[in-house]
Amino acid sequence: MYALFSIAGGLSTGLIGFYLGLGLVAIVRGITGHDAYDEQVSITIGYVCGLIGWLMGIGMWGAWGREWFGLRTYWRKAPGWQRYFTFSPDHKVIGIQYLVTFIVVFLLAGLGAMLMRWELMESGMQLFNHDQYNAVMSLHGILMVAVAVAAVIGGLGNYFVPLMIGAEDMAFPRLNALTYWLVPPVAAMLLATPFLGGIEHGWTAYPPLSVVTDSSQILFGLAVITFGLTSILGGLNFIITIIYMRAPGMTWGRLPIFVWSMFVTSWMALLYTQGFAVALLMVLLDRIAGMSFFNAEAGGDPLLYQHVFWFYSHPAVYIMVLPGFGIALEVISHFSRKPLFAYRYAVGGLLGILGLGGVVWAHHMFTSGMPNYLHGPFLVATEAISIPTGLVFLAALGTIWMGRLWLRTPMLFGLAVIFNFACGGVTGIFLADVPTDIHLQDTYFVVAHFHYTIVGGEIFGLFAGIYYWFPKMTGRMYNEKLAQLHFWWMFISFNVTFFVMHWPGIQGMNRRIADYPESLENVNLFVSISAFLLGASFLVFIYNMIYSWIRGPVAEANPWAARTIEWQVSSPPPVENFPEPPVVRGHPYDYGVPGSVHAVFPGAATIPAGAGGGQ
Amino acid sequence: MAAATHAAHATHDSLRIKRAGLWLFFFSETILFGLLMSARFFLEGIEREHLDQALGVGITSILVTSSVTAYMAETAIEHDRRSDAMWWLLGTIALGFIFAFGVGYEWATAEFTRHEAFGTVFFTMTGVHAAHVLSGVGLLALVAIQLGRGRFSSKDHWPISGTIMYWHFVDIVWIFFYPTLYLV
Amino acid sequence: MRRHVISAAVLWVILTAIGEALAFADLYPTVGSTEADDFDRIFRILIVMGMPVFTFVIAVLFYCVLRFGSFGMPAGDGPAYRGTGPGPKVWLAVTGSLALTVMIFPGLTGLAKLQPDKNGNGWGEPNAELVVRVAGFRWSWTMEYVDAGVTVSTAQGKELVLPIDTHVKFEIDSTDVVHSFWIPAFRMKIDAIPGRTTHMTVKPTVLGRFEDDDAYRVQCAELCGLDHSTMTFPVRVVPRAEFEQWLQSQKPAAAAE
Ligand code: HEA
Ligand code: HEA
Ligand code: CUA
Ligand SMILES: [Cu+2]
Repeated sequence: MYALFSIAGGLSTGLIGFYLGLGLVAIVRGITGHDAYDEQVSITIGYVCGLIGWLMGIGMWGAWGREWFGLRTYWRKAPGWQRYFTFSPDHKVIGIQYLVTFIVVFLLAGLGAMLMRWELMESGMQLFNHDQYNAVMSLHGILMVAVAVAAVIGGLGNYFVPLMIGAEDMAFPRLNALTYWLVPPVAAMLLATPFLGGIEHGWTAYPPLSVVTDSSQILFGLAVITFGLTSILGGLNFIITIIYMRAPGMTWGRLPIFVWSMFVTSWMALLYTQGFAVALLMVLLDRIAGMSFFNAEAGGDPLLYQHVFWFYSHPAVYIMVLPGFGIALEVISHFSRKPLFAYRYAVGGLLGILGLGGVVWAHHMFTSGMPNYLHGPFLVATEAISIPTGLVFLAALGTIWMGRLWLRTPMLFGLAVIFNFACGGVTGIFLADVPTDIHLQDTYFVVAHFHYTIVGGEIFGLFAGIYYWFPKMTGRMYNEKLAQLHFWWMFISFNVTFFVMHWPGIQGMNRRIADYPESLENVNLFVSISAFLLGASFLVFIYNMIYSWIRGPVAEANPWAARTIEWQVSSPPPVENFPEPPVVRGHPYDYGVPGSVHAVFPGAATIPAGAGGGQ
Repeated sequence: MAAATHAAHATHDSLRIKRAGLWLFFFSETILFGLLMSARFFLEGIEREHLDQALGVGITSILVTSSVTAYMAETAIEHDRRSDAMWWLLGTIALGFIFAFGVGYEWATAEFTRHEAFGTVFFTMTGVHAAHVLSGVGLLALVAIQLGRGRFSSKDHWPISGTIMYWHFVDIVWIFFYPTLYLV
Repeated sequence: MRRHVISAAVLWVILTAIGEALAFADLYPTVGSTEADDFDRIFRILIVMGMPVFTFVIAVLFYCVLRFGSFGMPAGDGPAYRGTGPGPKVWLAVTGSLALTVMIFPGLTGLAKLQPDKNGNGWGEPNAELVVRVAGFRWSWTMEYVDAGVTVSTAQGKELVLPIDTHVKFEIDSTDVVHSFWIPAFRMKIDAIPGRTTHMTVKPTVLGRFEDDDAYRVQCAELCGLDHSTMTFPVRVVPRAEFEQWLQSQKPAAAAE
């Protein structure tokens, strides 16, 4: 009931806002002597007003908006599961909201991949026409990018960063709720595009194509700009939280590595996300206002877009993968029952990626016809980035070496991150090398590279995190047998699918095509079948999650005997996180160090079981 | 000790945190404006079309003045001089409007169109900046309304300070935009 | 400890030996030009250099999982190595020098060969024996043999004919959106962008034609909308004499138009 009321309220104020926007445009255009309705302008203004209406209706007005006019604020409180449908300030609620939303989006986008692989089973056209293929391909790309950018940060980050640093909540709880509630409109708009003409230009939206293509580009642009806004605000919130809200004693040298990865990722989001927004803003202005950023005849330049776009979208790949690294290292340390090896170097590696990540963007433009003198510096910078990335590998390998590896599902996924990313990273070197990239650019070699890095590095990390923290988030234990089945099934079919995919790329199969030379039919059929197997593995996951959440055995507070603070409170944690505020005394990963503790609750009568770590 | 830290946590929405958040927001906006400026140089190098220099100097000095009045408003509320603060706020709002009208006038009389490259960057940069000025005016109006209804004192005036920080920031952006558009 | 190091190292060596077989495998489409030769060679060098990095990670992972792993909860904690010794520094030095090597060779050296002119927009010698002006449009190409005044297009000829052992320079631009001019048999591509001319020079060394081998095709390699996937153009490499003949045969047709 509450849930329905909350969503319906948001939707209706959103609609009212939208029509107010349309009316506003009509009035202004009427006064200035134009037609009352212009599709692109009206939709844009209507969207902006509708978005504000939606936010206010969903609960921001009561919790925040009233304050701007000096009125008393209030929160709508809903019982049980219904609180997930309200504008809630609790970071744990927001974390679940993010996580569930993005898993649904992930499955839908994965379904799109399945359809693409269906079309690609044979050369020639079967399932789709060219237009539909492009629409599905672009939608798959942009939805997955959104998932990869926000699922871990928004979901696991929100839930666990405050818990791991011993804070009660994020620094700006209302801003946090705002960043989440901006997401549903983004998802809705993107998912609506196939029915309104489809995105024609891939996730990269290069002009002039994106300027001349039909009108669902407007939806794409507005959705991406909104999404950028949530990324920036979310990043800001994390940075402030991590700087100012750490528990006493939680020094920078004692910060769990997952929190470090969130910190670095947030800086990336804050620094670079404007690039995507500005790039699409320029496209929208070219479209709506007839400006000439990219119109070569009037002095514009299509390459401007590519520079601005990749200025964001290269750092974005690290926004995607660093949380994956963070989770992998976190899990690897706990499940090896050893301190994280070379902790300082690992942190240095993350910071090094942050520093270098911003100066390599043009490696996506090696064949774009940019001036020749730019290639050398970008080649060097790009290959230099493998050095800080290597430090993450050093930490992982050093930790498992001589460890007591406990091969539960989270650990398996964590190790898989390292395995997969070794392959994805090394193929990155092939692409960073200009002489080889000239041939490989825009082929399935690139597609294989980035699925290895994103899926192999981040999505595997996401699953590691989901399994690892499932008992903490839901208070119930997942089914280990099914989880291991999911892991092996996914791991093997993933590697088969995408490892083989390198080869058609070298052979001359380019990306983003619905039809290809007949000589490549066999290998594509093979890849498709393997991809279907990969897709099917998620059925196990879905079943396991839903069943265990409802029926699973009740979980202990600390089933992994892990040392970090989030495991020292009940599962799930109480609303205020800590009945007694924690004080940090030592390093989070000091397994095997006699007498060391990470955190204690000085106010509590007894220290909860497992606080000292492994036996 | 434990109780003290707990209390510290409870007031986490403290001033320090809010101010730091605002600074980060400015930082992020700086990149936005920086990218727009880079686009200007990328497309047009150091070329420039003819612009009304007198108008440029005029609106720039108005915006700078408005920063001073905004500062006065903040000082006034810090000393609980609420009616002074009100007048300074209203003055700032007025100057903001004059600036926006100046930009509008420049738009109306410009000798180039938005369909050519310089026009494109000129209208985009001034447009994005003017949108910030207008939202600043909106925020100032909101705090002025609250001030009128009896809120704020020397102890509780973060909304005013925050808004005025934002105002200064938007002003500083113009200090960079003005030469890139008018003087280069 | 010593024993573990040796066993893991042996595993690494074995895996590397297996992996390096990839360097000898023929993964590539037809080698049609000197540039294609260079590409295959550099690609192989990168496999040789990259494979040990990859197998190192894999070897350590597998060794630890098989040797130290257990499905039940481990009885105790592992040794508390923190990595404060020289290990990380050695790692940094090794990966650093590896990265530096890859940058210089085959990276920058290969680049220097491709870009004799630092201020141009494209690959290869700016001067060539034959110049072909290419225009991409949605969704096909026109090619103009500048000196001969011959133009081929979908309507006219529909085949890009090139003489063997000749430096051919393509000057490429676009009339609408961004396309990319790519011939897999030559391993070369560069974008066709409205508003600027890019170029690439190739030297075909092997006779071949599209009908027998689809690596001999111009393929658009930048998403350009509806018919992007079919924006191809057949290529035929012929002996020089035959080329001259063909050029002559195209001329009257062009005049008659
Ligand atoms: C999570 C995402 C992610 C990550 C982390 C990376 C990481 C890297 N990527 Fe990738 N990339 C993408 C996602 C990602 N990429 C995507 C999505 C695209 C396509 C976009 C599109 O066009 O749609 C792309 C495209 C892309 C291109 C452009 C291809 C083209 O279109 O022509 C290039 C070229 O340089 C490149 C290079 C690299 C390099 C060098 C790294 C490096 O960071 C890798 C570093 C890691 C290692 C090298 C392995 C570990 C290191 C060691 C074990 C140490 C020792 C090793 C050495 C010294 C070599 N990537
Ligand atoms: C996070 C990022 C991510 C992820 C996880 C994936 C996952 C997959 N991708 Fe994707 N991909 C991209 C990011 C990603 N991709 C990007 C950025 C592009 C570039 C787009 C562009 O060029 O613009 C791309 C492009 C791309 C292409 C190239 C298209 C082209 O260029 O023409 C292909 C082709 O095979 C492909 C395949 C796959 C497959 C088989 C999976 C599999 O891993 C998917 C696994 C399957 C599922 C997840 C489905 C599970 C569903 C069910 C079990 C049914 C239940 C469903 C419901 C209840 C709703 N992807
Ligand atoms: Cu032309 Cu793709
Ligand atoms: Cu990149």
